[in-house]
Amino acid sequence: MRHLAEEDLIAYQLGESADAEAIRHHLETCSACSVVSESIAETLRVFSWQAIPEPDLEQAWTRLRGNLTVLEAAAPRRSNWRPWLLWPALGSALAALLLTVFLGVLPHHGRTRPPVSVQGLAVRTPGPLSAEPADPAVAAHLESAERLLTAVNHEQGPLDTGTREQARTLLLKNAVYVQTAHARGDVAEASVLEDLGRVLTSLEHEPEKPKSTWRLRLEMNTDGLLLDIRILRQNDEQKQ
Amino acid sequence: MERVERDAIQAVLTGDREAYRVLMERHFRSVHRIAFRITGNEEDAEEAAQEAFLRAYRKLPSFRLEAAFGTWVTRIAMNAALTLVERRRREMVYQPKVEIGNPDVDVLASLPDAAPGPERRLLDREAEHLRRQAMEALTPMERTAFTMRHMEEMAIAEIAAALQVPANSAKQAVFRAVSKLRGALAPVAGDLR
Repeated sequence: MRHLAEEDLIAYQLGESADAEAIRHHLETCSACSVVSESIAETLRVFSWQAIPEPDLEQAWTRLRGNLTVLEAAAPRRSNWRPWLLWPALGSALAALLLTVFLGVLPHHGRTRPPVSVQGLAVRTPGPLSAEPADPAVAAHLESAERLLTAVNHEQGPLDTGTREQARTLLLKNAVYVQTAHARGDVAEASVLEDLGRVLTSLEHEPEKPKSTWRLRLEMNTDGLLLDIRILRQNDEQKQ
Repeated sequence: MERVERDAIQAVLTGDREAYRVLMERHFRSVHRIAFRITGNEEDAEEAAQEAFLRAYRKLPSFRLEAAFGTWVTRIAMNAALTLVERRRREMVYQPKVEIGNPDVDVLASLPDAAPGPERRLLDREAEHLRRQAMEALTPMERTAFTMRHMEEMAIAEIAAALQVPANSAKQAVFRAVSKLRGALAPVAGDLR
């Protein structure tokens, strides 16, 4: 009697076999295959249960929340264009314009328009490309950070003391620049600097051990961060 | 997708970060559970789940609202967990292992005679230890494919799509895993019931 392959019996026990009926019939008559089949079934039973730890959702959210930057508004997916609805609005706008001209407000047109504060608003601009760093020292800071992150990303093994010290120095400066960016209302730059701060904190504080998570976190947080830093720095250099 | 999730996604896309909490609270447990099955430890499961939700958040502008957020983030988590396991394996320092599947080594017989607690508890603990070691002996792909198919009862096609491999590769990975586990536990299988 020709015996069944182990793979066929595994497929049968997992419910993945296309010839289940034929295999079942064979097992009724072949004791050797039946023993193997039962052994596979037992293996599956042994591995059918596993204790799963319950995650702390509150803690998970707190951690996740700290890594979320405000997303820009997505482009509308569906057009709700209703041209006829615009006519009343256009009429109102025209009336308001005529009234403004009539009241003589327009003679002040040469006056500089005050800047619109964006503090407290979500970022609606297309990322750091639109950010305009005002402090020239930020460019040097970003350049140093870029060099450090690039070096660490290519490094194998534990971080040396010098690298940790450099991360600490950059972290202190970074905290100041984050505040400055917020005070200036530059939410995009502040957001990139905050991301940078989290990475630098990981580098400085995470203990180096086989199970430490600093390298993973670094990879997570530098996903796009290096690019953001380069763009910000180039913007800054162009402004100088 | 349910309206509450659709609304949450649209709120996030208009700048409301807090709305993402709705999605996280609905799916974090299952994502964490799957990440745990793949990584085998709580710390890495948390790490992979966090990364999955972070990646999903960043890719949310390109997410199609017709799709299921839960399925999407689960797939991201599977890949994140798998990557993490592979990274751990590369970084792992040498640790002496107890041979499994070697008929010359009777692990149960080597248990101390004067051990505390009932014998059954000891055997259970040893069984858990052996199960863990047998799972650790699988490749990350085999472990992932096996746990998703057998413990999470996911279809082979779904596993293959999540892992971005052909369906036959996913199926073969499951089969190899079962074969290895069976071989590893063969000497003590009767005691592990």
